[in-house]
Amino acid sequence: MATLKMLTGNYAAAYGAKLARVEVFPAFPISPQSPVMEKIAEFIENGELDAEFIPAESEHSVMAAAIAAEAMGARTFTATSAQGLLYMHENLFVASGIRLPVVMAIVNRTVGPPNTVLNDLSDSLDQRDTAWIQMYAENAQEVHDMIPQAYRIGEDPRVLLPVAVCYEGIIISHYMEPVEILDQEKVDRFLPPYRPTHAVLDPDRPMSLGQIVMDDTYITEIKYQQQEAMDRSKAVIQEVDEAFGNTFGRTYGGLFQTEGMEGAEVALLTLGSLASTVRAVVRQLREEDGLPIGFIKLRAFRPFPSQELRDSLSNMKAVAVLEKGVSIGAGGAVFLDVSHCFNRRDDNPLLIDYVLGLGGRDVTFEEVRNIALRLFEERAADSVENPIRWYQVRGL
Amino acid sequence: MIKNAREILPEEDFFHPGHPLCPGCPGGIALRWIMKVLGRDSIANVGATCLCLPTHVYPHSLEVPSLYIAMAPSPAGISGMSAAIRVLKRKGVIPAERKINIFAISGDGSTADIGLASLSGAAERNDDGLYFCFDNEAYMNTGIQRSSTTPQFSWTYSTTKGKTQRKKDLPRIMAAHDIPYVATLSVGYPEDFIKKVEKARDMEPGFKYFQIHGPCPTGWRFPENKTVEMARLAVETGFWSLYEVVHGSLRVTYRPSKQRPVIDYIKLQGRFQGLTDADIQQLQQWVDEKLKDLNQ
Amino acid sequence: MNQRKQIGQDVQKRYTYCDLPIGDVSIGMPAERRKTGLWRYLKPQFVRKFSPCREACPAGNDVEGFLALADQGRYGEALERLLGESPLPGVCGRVCFHPCESACNRGAFDDALSIQGVERFVADWEPTNFPAPGPPRREKVAIVGSGPAGLTCAYHLRRLGYEVTIFEKQAVLGGMLQLGIPTYRLPRETLDREIDRILGLGVNVETRCLAGYDISWENLLSWDAVFLAAGAHAATELRIQGYSANEVISGTAWLEAVNLGRSVSVGSRVGIIGGGNTAVDCARVALRLGAKPLIIYRRTQSEMPAIRAEVEEALQEGIEIQWLTSPVAIRSRNGRIVGLECIRNRLSEPEPGRRARPEPISGSDFLMELDSVIAAVGETVEGGILPPSLRDEQGVVWIDEWGRTSLPRLWAGGDVTTDPRMVVHAIGAGKRAALSIHASFTGEDLGQLGERLRIGVKGSFSIDRYLKGDPPGAMFPKGVVRPDEVNFNYFESVKRTCMPSLEPGYRVRGFSEVNLGYDEQRARDEARRCFQCGTCRVCGNCYVFCPDGSVRLDSAGCSYEIDYEYCKGCGVCANECPTGAIAMDAEGEI
Repeated sequence: MATLKMLTGNYAAAYGAKLARVEVFPAFPISPQSPVMEKIAEFIENGELDAEFIPAESEHSVMAAAIAAEAMGARTFTATSAQGLLYMHENLFVASGIRLPVVMAIVNRTVGPPNTVLNDLSDSLDQRDTAWIQMYAENAQEVHDMIPQAYRIGEDPRVLLPVAVCYEGIIISHYMEPVEILDQEKVDRFLPPYRPTHAVLDPDRPMSLGQIVMDDTYITEIKYQQQEAMDRSKAVIQEVDEAFGNTFGRTYGGLFQTEGMEGAEVALLTLGSLASTVRAVVRQLREEDGLPIGFIKLRAFRPFPSQELRDSLSNMKAVAVLEKGVSIGAGGAVFLDVSHCFNRRDDNPLLIDYVLGLGGRDVTFEEVRNIALRLFEERAADSVENPIRWYQVRGL
Repeated sequence: MIKNAREILPEEDFFHPGHPLCPGCPGGIALRWIMKVLGRDSIANVGATCLCLPTHVYPHSLEVPSLYIAMAPSPAGISGMSAAIRVLKRKGVIPAERKINIFAISGDGSTADIGLASLSGAAERNDDGLYFCFDNEAYMNTGIQRSSTTPQFSWTYSTTKGKTQRKKDLPRIMAAHDIPYVATLSVGYPEDFIKKVEKARDMEPGFKYFQIHGPCPTGWRFPENKTVEMARLAVETGFWSLYEVVHGSLRVTYRPSKQRPVIDYIKLQGRFQGLTDADIQQLQQWVDEKLKDLNQ
Repeated sequence: MNQRKQIGQDVQKRYTYCDLPIGDVSIGMPAERRKTGLWRYLKPQFVRKFSPCREACPAGNDVEGFLALADQGRYGEALERLLGESPLPGVCGRVCFHPCESACNRGAFDDALSIQGVERFVADWEPTNFPAPGPPRREKVAIVGSGPAGLTCAYHLRRLGYEVTIFEKQAVLGGMLQLGIPTYRLPRETLDREIDRILGLGVNVETRCLAGYDISWENLLSWDAVFLAAGAHAATELRIQGYSANEVISGTAWLEAVNLGRSVSVGSRVGIIGGGNTAVDCARVALRLGAKPLIIYRRTQSEMPAIRAEVEEALQEGIEIQWLTSPVAIRSRNGRIVGLECIRNRLSEPEPGRRARPEPISGSDFLMELDSVIAAVGETVEGGILPPSLRDEQGVVWIDEWGRTSLPRLWAGGDVTTDPRMVVHAIGAGKRAALSIHASFTGEDLGQLGERLRIGVKGSFSIDRYLKGDPPGAMFPKGVVRPDEVNFNYFESVKRTCMPSLEPGYRVRGFSEVNLGYDEQRARDEARRCFQCGTCRVCGNCYVFCPDGSVRLDSAGCSYEIDYEYCKGCGVCANECPTGAIAMDAEGEI
């Protein structure tokens, strides 16, 4: 029986992990993630969740323990943020390299210095090369729903990659919303236990995980396998979203969600909690001002759905990417990936990057509306003066 | 006369020849003995160590399952594995009575330096496993650079005029962690070695720490047939002591009948060639202090 | 490096990205191990080496072999092993100067083994098999002298199948063993038993037959071969005033008289001049006959040529020795000796390779009051018994390295030649001559024979090996184990087993044997101390310490073998081998 509770995003994640019947939970506290750890530890201590809690002494050890536990064949979950995520950076590659479908909640927080517990997406975006699947949630309900989905995606034999479910600290993690807690029985039907054969430490079938290859043997091939798995995961993400819809009555659009794209001339693309604001702006502009403007909420940043986005955006005259993060020296990570969707000689849309919301700076309805209007104005130009726009810099 | 080998070493081998360790490598000796004692039902966590070579450098492997995560975190690997085993046994995925020996093997660099936090964490949590630090007294695998367990005055490529700091006493640090078992081992004393590993293997679940003294011919600059002799000399001169700490209570397990002067040990190693008489005296003093402290 | 590339390429051929296991997973492939045996430039091999005791034994006894059997309680077989090389273990077990013990590697660790003690115990046992005479051959050999050299030669020639006749000038056999060595050192029952065993092989004996007189050399030299082992029984003259004019007794002649049961009184106070075994024996015999003997020697105790233990026993028995004293003139009155005028010496600086010279201290003359004087200053070959035109060297018979003299069909050995004057050297000489004589009949090349049978570099020859051949697959030892090749760390220090002996005060009351010999427990305790240098004792050290696990039990499960496909030649096994049974040789050589 589904229940409705007022939950923070963090608790929603914790309940999601409980329903997914995770078996080992190594964790190290960091604001804004700590309540996830506390809640799951509580579930374990009072017997609601049959699992093992490992209070590791650093995030590097958290991920190492997660890898070891997953390699033993136990479903493993963890959560972290910013500096903690960076501390385990080395081991992220190990999880994906050995093809262990660990699921991690990344409670987004700005990477310091300056240090803060306020949020932007810089921490998880920075990890885009680690061969983890990255999915971004917009609200607490989506966080809660994504945890079981993440396991089903990652553990799928066509995928076998670790999955990160990302949501912003404070905005999602600490604000309460009504969340429908999924029914355990239905989750059990949706998500069977994890019983791997491809990489498991079993004395009856010995395997060596994590080789050192000092010659030409197979490093390229291993990396190519990961690439293929990522490619295949796109279809799996779609399937799982549909299956989730069939079981629980809610879908999220799979790789990304679109609204108002038919007949639109310009589009705004974003991810995370910002999607709520952008969606509201787009709706208002369409309904009240009649602007032909569309909206895309990107859910999967890795695998990056280049072909699919290309199909959705190729008719646009201009597209603005709004993101809370930037790769200093280049531009926003999402923008850069969107750009490469359009790499043919006669590609159309004008692409503009808006870097905003860094360090937890609030992005208002007005600001987004102004961005949308400006985009509409600029839509006919052949080029724009400055495609990478740092939107909220005071004094600029 | 040493007893017949069949009496002290279990017969089956899980560590096979054909690996690229240096000739005369004490790690080969130690890992072979460890594998004989721990047997088929064990799982290895390998950290950064020369012993990566026979275990994880493709195509070499042990005959038991083995995981290499990264340089530092093999103790965290023990934590993860032992937690997984506990929950999987509860769920019936692994039979409850099956005994699997989780162990980790890592070098002195990854144990005492980069992985010290991971080691301390796993020990504090008392996760179930045997942790072996293979101490060849430098970062040998990367080409002989100093570690915190390199003795004072030793030459390495990063301390060509001799290391200024003294050797870190890691076993005593681990003894302070309140774990069931800590022991020092040497490849010159097989009976002592085997007995201690068997004891830890059969003890109650918990974190057991071993430090294996491994004289490295390549890094210490001595002929490769003298490995075992050098290990013996280290103990006979007091440079290395054989003891165990069982539930906090320390017991010296081998006392040489006569303590030989350190000069007997260091004069045979190229890494100590540049020592002055004052240096040697200082080393002797350090050894004497250590032994006095140990014997109290 | 090339080998690595090769394997990489092989694997690459087999694995595309489709058929690799998923992820960086290796399904344990222990079969694809690198053949690290190719790294080797030194190769360990289980070799059998001689132990230094065997090389040092002039008789070539299989010391290590008999000790191992004694340790196991197989005394009869141990004795059989000894009898394979020498027929007189009971003799050597009592009177030998045991160079084997001086060479014993255990001496560098704690105490050298009392090999002589165990030999004596074993010799008193019954042998499992006493050697039998060989199938009869045509040739006949004459042996002059029945001392240890002659007896040994006869023994081995009978084993080879030749007809042998011993010509002995005395009425009894044994030479110096019978006539010279006192019974408190060598009881006659032991000697006679061993002589009888030799004769039991079918040796013809003519006693009271002096070569050159009772049988002519012309006759002797017409035999197929002759072995001259007449010994040296004439006393060296003592060149001092009054020597020839008075009744100075010759040491060897006096001992011979005592041993044959004739008595020659020496009065109360007898002075014995000399420092060798004869002098010491004379003193101790005189003591037992009730006299007060006094040894006069011109150098100090450490230069005395007598066996050290004998000198110490003499001192324990209360015999006085005047060192650094030389006789000057014999004083007599009314035809009887009343004293000896002596002078004190000091020792000069020794020249390299020579002993220090005694220099008389002028003005230190004194008179020693004595009733008789025994001169034991050396023995020479009796004049007139050797065949004419025989090449000699400083009064003794010249021989080559195989005991051949300057005359055809004449061999010689023992005290009559340049051989060192010890019983065990005489035994070795007899064996050497037997082999040499045999080779002269069969035409075998002596050089090759020597190389095959020689023990170590400078040892004797093994005739037992010649007679019995090598068992299939057996390794005949090569090289000798040095002390630094033995790994002392694997042995516990155990003191040498004490030899029980008569209490000194009790000894001098008669001629009972001074040393009582080991009982079984002591003999085994002592035999157990033997390192077994150069023999694999299947201790398993090589197996325990191999870093590559390349040493394993062989298929029979009773010894170890090396897997050369993987052995890197590090040499840890050889270094840890307790007995030096593993040698590291350049790859490509044995």
